[in-house]
Amino acid sequence: MSTKLLFEDIDEPGLHTLDVYKRRGGYLMAEQALAMAPDSLVTSLKDSGLRGRGGAGFPTGLKASFIPQGKMDKYLVCNADESEPGTFKDRELMQKNPHSLIEGMIIAAYAVGANKSFIFIRGEYAQQATILEDAIAEAKAAGYLGPDVLGKGVELDMWVHRGAGAYICGEETGLLDALEGRRGNPRLKPPFPANQGLYQGPTLLNNVETLTAIPYILRVGAEAYAAMGVEKSSGTKLISVSGNVKRPGNYEIEMGMTGRDIIYGLAGGIEDDREVLLWFPGGSSSPVLTKDDLDVPYDYEALAGAGSMLGSGAIIVADDSNSVVDIAVKTASFYKHESCGKCTPCREGTNWTTKMLLRIRSGEATPMDLDVIESVCDQIMGNCLCVLGDAMAMPVSSMVKKFRPAFEAHIERARRDAEQRLLASLESDHGPESILEGIGAGAPQH
Amino acid sequence: MPRPQPEEITFTIDGREVQAPAGLMLADAAKLGDVDIPVFCYEPKLGAPVGACRMCLVEIEGIPKLQTACSTPVRDGMVVDTTNDRVKAAQESVVEFLLLNHPLDCPVCDKGGECPLQDISYGWGRGESRFVEPKRHFQKPVELSPLIAIDRERCILCYRCVRFSQEVSEDYQLVLHERGADTFVGTFDGHPYSAPFSGNIIELCPVGALTSQAYRFRARPWDIEQSGSVCTMCPGQCNVSYTVRDDRVQRVLARDNDAVDDGWLCDRGRFAYQGAYVDERVTRPLVRVDGQLRPVSWERAEQEAVKLLGRSDGDGHTVGALAGSGTSNEEGWLLRRILTETLGSRDLDSRRDGALSAGLMAALDAPEAQATVEDLQYAHAVLVLDTEPVDDMPIVDLRLRKGHRRHGVRLMVAGSRPSSLDPIAEHSVRFAPGAGEAFVVALDAAIGGVGDVAGPAAAAGADPAAIEALAKDLREAGEDVVILWGERLTAGAPAAAEGSDPGANAARGLLKIAGRLGLTDDRAGAGLLQIPSSGNGRGLREIGFLPTAGPGYREPEDPGRDARGIAEALVDGELTVLHLLHADPLRTHGDRDLWQRALGAATGVVAHAQFLTEGILEHATVVFPAEAGAEKEGTVTHPDGRLQRLRPAAARPGEVRATWRTLARLLVALGGETSALTVMMVTAEIADAVPFYAGITHDEIGGFGVRWQERDAAAAFPQGETGPFTLDAPRSAASSNGALRLGTFRSVWSTPDVEHAPALRFLTPRQRAELHPDDARERGIGHGQRVRVSTGDGGAAVRAVAHLRQSAPRGSVFLEAGLAAESADAVSGPVVLVETERA
Repeated sequence: MSTKLLFEDIDEPGLHTLDVYKRRGGYLMAEQALAMAPDSLVTSLKDSGLRGRGGAGFPTGLKASFIPQGKMDKYLVCNADESEPGTFKDRELMQKNPHSLIEGMIIAAYAVGANKSFIFIRGEYAQQATILEDAIAEAKAAGYLGPDVLGKGVELDMWVHRGAGAYICGEETGLLDALEGRRGNPRLKPPFPANQGLYQGPTLLNNVETLTAIPYILRVGAEAYAAMGVEKSSGTKLISVSGNVKRPGNYEIEMGMTGRDIIYGLAGGIEDDREVLLWFPGGSSSPVLTKDDLDVPYDYEALAGAGSMLGSGAIIVADDSNSVVDIAVKTASFYKHESCGKCTPCREGTNWTTKMLLRIRSGEATPMDLDVIESVCDQIMGNCLCVLGDAMAMPVSSMVKKFRPAFEAHIERARRDAEQRLLASLESDHGPESILEGIGAGAPQH
Repeated sequence: MPRPQPEEITFTIDGREVQAPAGLMLADAAKLGDVDIPVFCYEPKLGAPVGACRMCLVEIEGIPKLQTACSTPVRDGMVVDTTNDRVKAAQESVVEFLLLNHPLDCPVCDKGGECPLQDISYGWGRGESRFVEPKRHFQKPVELSPLIAIDRERCILCYRCVRFSQEVSEDYQLVLHERGADTFVGTFDGHPYSAPFSGNIIELCPVGALTSQAYRFRARPWDIEQSGSVCTMCPGQCNVSYTVRDDRVQRVLARDNDAVDDGWLCDRGRFAYQGAYVDERVTRPLVRVDGQLRPVSWERAEQEAVKLLGRSDGDGHTVGALAGSGTSNEEGWLLRRILTETLGSRDLDSRRDGALSAGLMAALDAPEAQATVEDLQYAHAVLVLDTEPVDDMPIVDLRLRKGHRRHGVRLMVAGSRPSSLDPIAEHSVRFAPGAGEAFVVALDAAIGGVGDVAGPAAAAGADPAAIEALAKDLREAGEDVVILWGERLTAGAPAAAEGSDPGANAARGLLKIAGRLGLTDDRAGAGLLQIPSSGNGRGLREIGFLPTAGPGYREPEDPGRDARGIAEALVDGELTVLHLLHADPLRTHGDRDLWQRALGAATGVVAHAQFLTEGILEHATVVFPAEAGAEKEGTVTHPDGRLQRLRPAAARPGEVRATWRTLARLLVALGGETSALTVMMVTAEIADAVPFYAGITHDEIGGFGVRWQERDAAAAFPQGETGPFTLDAPRSAASSNGALRLGTFRSVWSTPDVEHAPALRFLTPRQRAELHPDDARERGIGHGQRVRVSTGDGGAAVRAVAHLRQSAPRGSVFLEAGLAAESADAVSGPVVLVETERA
C-alpha cells in the first residue's frame, strides 16, 4: 500500500544538490513543461485530481485556472510556513529534496504566467531555508531560474522569505500581509489571492507538498496519478505520524489506506501496546477521532464523513495514558496564543475557552461549564474572518462531545482534590479552627 | 478619471424590496430599506472594509455561511435576512464576545449615552453574560497624547483608529501591539500620538476607549446640543458641529460634507474652540488712554473709532484696512463700504503680499477653469504647486492621500520646502524660495515644448531635467489634471525699476500651463484650485476687499494700495489710520520691520480682535472684541466657490457684540447708508453687488453650502483679462553667494488660536531653521544646535534650533513665519547668514 512517489529518492545521499537531483531525472519535467502550452498544464493538473496538501484540500488545477490571463506581474507563492502542530512533512521535503519544489514551482509559474515567486518559510526552519537558498542559487546558475528560464524566453525569479514564527502566517492572506512586510493578519475574502493577492496582483498560493507533487504528476502522467488513491482523493499523500506510536515519522501513502493500517502498520502500533484514546487525523485543528474510527479510510471524503478532516495530513495519536482534559487545554492554549486578534469571535472565543478549560483542569468548574464551552465553540465556528477560530473550536468541541463523561469525572475528581489540597494546606499552616476564626473575625489571618 | 456611476438595482431585505445603487455595501444599502445592520469596524470613510468585528453577519440566500454585510456589495435580486434565528444567534454571540473584557463602566464613561457599543448591546445583545473569568486589565486611562486619553480596557479592538493612522492620515504612528486577546492599541515607539489629524480617532472610536482630554467629564449627552456651522480658521472651511452646553462650546465634531472635508477635521479645528473661554480673550471694548488699553463702553469705543476714521486731512483719504482669516463675507463687505463709500479710500487688502489685476484674478477664478475639492480625489494627476496643503489647508492633505491611495491619482509636487506629500508623490521638484515665477515659466516652456527651459529653470534654481520629466507626465497623465496652487505663487509686488511684475507674470504662466493642459475648457474634473492665504480669501476677493478689484472682480477706476503699499504709506505719513479686521500684520503679514514702523507711525489703529496679539497690544487705539467662530453668523466662500453659512452656536461672552453690527453702526455713523437689520440683509447687499452671487440667500446655502458656479447667475462672471500672454523673463532667484536663500512657511500651529487653546498650547511651534545637512556641515552646525539667522548687516536676527533635513534643497534655509516670538518675519531675505549661536 505504501506507494513511493515524492519519497521515491528521498533518502538518496546528496539529493539536495543539483548534480544528484539531475542524475535522478531532475528538471526533465520542467524542460518538458516549458515546451507545452500553459493551458494544457493546467488541464493536466485538473485531470490529475490533485488537491491542495496544505489543509483545505482545494483542487489545485481549478485554483490555477482562476489566475487571470494577460500580461502583468503575477506571483507564485509557496506556503512553507508548516505550522500546524503535528505536521513535519514539508520540512523533510525541503531539507532533502529542495530541487523538486523548485522544479514544481517553475512548472506552476509557467502554467499561470507568474514571473515572480516566493517561498515563505517559517522562521524555525532555518536549516531548510539555507538549503533552499543554496538550491535556488544552483538553479539560477544552471539557468533554471532567471530572466530567461532554460532559454525559453520565460522569466521567473525566486526568493526565500523567512517568517517570524506566527501560526497565522500559514493562513494564505496572513502570509501575504507578512510577505509584504506588514503585521501578519488575514485579509477579508473576497477578493481572493488569485485576483488580488501579493501587492494586489494575481497570486497563486500553494503548499510545499502540492508544488513538489507537480513534477511527479507530469512524470507518471495525470491519468496514472488520478488512478492512484480513491475516486475524489487521488494520488499519494505524505503523512506525519506522531504521538504515542512506536515509529513516528513521515510516510507516503496512497489515499484510502485505513487509519488502522497507518497507525498499527506503518507506525508500528501504540507504545507499550496500549489502547488508542483519540487521534487527530489531520493536524491539531481537525476534530478528534476515537479508536472506533480506526477503520475509516484515510482520504478527504471518508474522513469528512466520519466528522473530521484530512487537513495537513498530520496524525497525532494519544493513548489511554493521557487525559483528554490535558489534550483539550493544550490544543485550546495553542490557538489562543496564535490568534491574531483581528476578528472578535476568534480573539475572545479562544481566550474564553482556554480560561474555562484551565478552570476545569484545576478543579474550579462545574459540568455546566462544558455546556458553555460547547456553546462558545458553536459561536466561533463559521463566524470568523479566517479558519483559525474554527481550528480551535472543532477539536475542542469534538473532545467535549465525545469524552463528556471523562470531562465530568475529571471535574468532580479535580474539584475534590483541590478541596483536599486546600484543606491540607490550611491545616498544616493554622489548623481548621483558625480558618473559621478568620472568617468569623472578618479579617484575614495571613 | 471617470467617476463611478452605479445603476440602481433591487434587492430584498427582511422581506422588503429595496432599490439601491449597485455595488453599495449591504450595511449601507440596508439603511435605504430602513433596516439597521449593526457595525463596529465598518466605516466607509476609512476605505475598504476589513470585516474584523463580525457584528454585521447576515444570511444571504444561496450562500451557506453567514456573510459580513459591511463587505458584501448588493447585487440585483439578492435576498437578505437580518433577523432570523441563525443571524440573531451570531449577533448575540458577537455582542457577548465583545463585552467579555469590556469593563461596563458606562456610568463613568464619557461615551455613555452616545456609544455604539451601548446601543448595539441593547439592540442586538442577549442582555446577559456567561463570562465568570477575570477580565483583561490595563493601566487606565493613560495619555495617548496630550489631546487623547486611551482606556485600553474599554477597547473592542475594532481597528478603526489604527486604520485611520495607517491608511487615511498616513502618519503610521498607531499600531496594534501583541496579538490575540493580548492585543492593544498604542504608538509604535511609545511616544505620544502627535499628528495634525489625531483628534479624528476620538470620533471614530465606537466605544469610550479614546476620549478627548479637553472634553473628558465636561458633559453627558443629555446635557448638550449639537449646532452645525463652518470652521473659518483656514481656507479648508470644514463643516463642524459644535457641542454646546450652557451656551458654551464644549467640543467640536466633524459634520460630514463630502464636497468639503470628507468628514475629517484637523486638530486645530477640533480643539481651538477652547480659546474662546480663556482669560486672555478680549471681551470688552478697549481704548488707548495714556498709552494703555483700557476697557470702555461700546458707545465710547465707537465714538473713538468714528473720530479716528472720519478725520479727514482735506485733500485725501487717510485710512487703510486689512482683513484677515476668519473674516466673513458680510464683515468684509461692510468694512469695504466704510472705506470706499464714506472715506473715499481704496486702500484695502485681504491678500498677504502683492496685488493682481482684477482681470487676472477673474481669469484664475473663472468657472470654466475651476476645480473642486472632490476633483482632487478623482483626477488623473494633481500638481501641488508652491503650497504645503497640511499647513495651508490641512484637510486637503487627507483628500490628496485618499485620491492617491484609493483612486490611483498621480501626485506631483513642486515647491521650495520639502513637502509631507513627497513620499507619495511621483515627482517632487524643488525651486528656490520665492522663485515660483521662474519655475512656472520653465514648466510652461517644458509642457509646451517651445521656448527655453534651461534659462528659467536656472533662474528658479531648479533642475531642468526634473522639470522636463514633470512636464511630460503632466501632459500625458490624462485629461483630468488639477493644479492645486498656493496664493504665495503670485505674491510679490511689481518692481517698477526693473519693469517686472513677478506675481502677474507667474499668474499668466500658470494660466498658460492650464491652457496647454486643457484645464480652462470647462471640463468637469480638471482645473485650477487656489489655496488663499486667509480662511475666507476667496470670499473677500469676490466681494472686492482688494485694492485692485471691486465686487465681482470689477475693474476699479483707480486701484488702491495693497498691504505693503498701505504699510509704506503709513510710514510715509500718506495714511494715518489703519483698520484691522481680524488681522495683526505683525503676525499675519511678513516684513516685521516695515510693519512695526508703519504701526508706530499710524496715529490711529482700529482693530477687531479676539486676542491682544503684539501689534494690537502695542499699537491699537481702539479694540472691538471680536466673536469666536462659533459665535458668528454670516457666509464665507470656499476656495472652490462654495458659499457656506456660519451659524451662531454659542453665546458671546462678556460684552462681545457681533462684528458685522459694529461695522454697520460705524458705517452709518460715518455717513453711510445701510438698511441691514440682520446678517441676511447684508448678504442680500452682497448678492446685489456681486453679479455671480445674484439672488443667493442663506436658505439656499443651507447646511452643506452651494457652489455659485453651479447656479444660473454664474453666467454673469466677468471675462478674465490676462494682459499680454508673452511671459517676461523671470527674475532670478537670489544668488546665494555663500549665504543661504531664506524661505518661510506657516505651519498649521503658528496661530494665536493655538497659543490660546490650553489643549493645543503644547503644539505651539518654536522657531527652527531647516537646512540641508551638507549646508549645515559647511557652517559647522549640528542637528539641534542653537543658531542665529540674520541678514548679516547688523540687522535683526532670529534665533532658532537647527533642524537638518536630507530632503531640504541645498543653498536654502527655511524659517517659520507667523510665530509670536522669533518669527521669520523679523529677517527679510532674500539671503541670510546662519551661524551657530555664540554663548
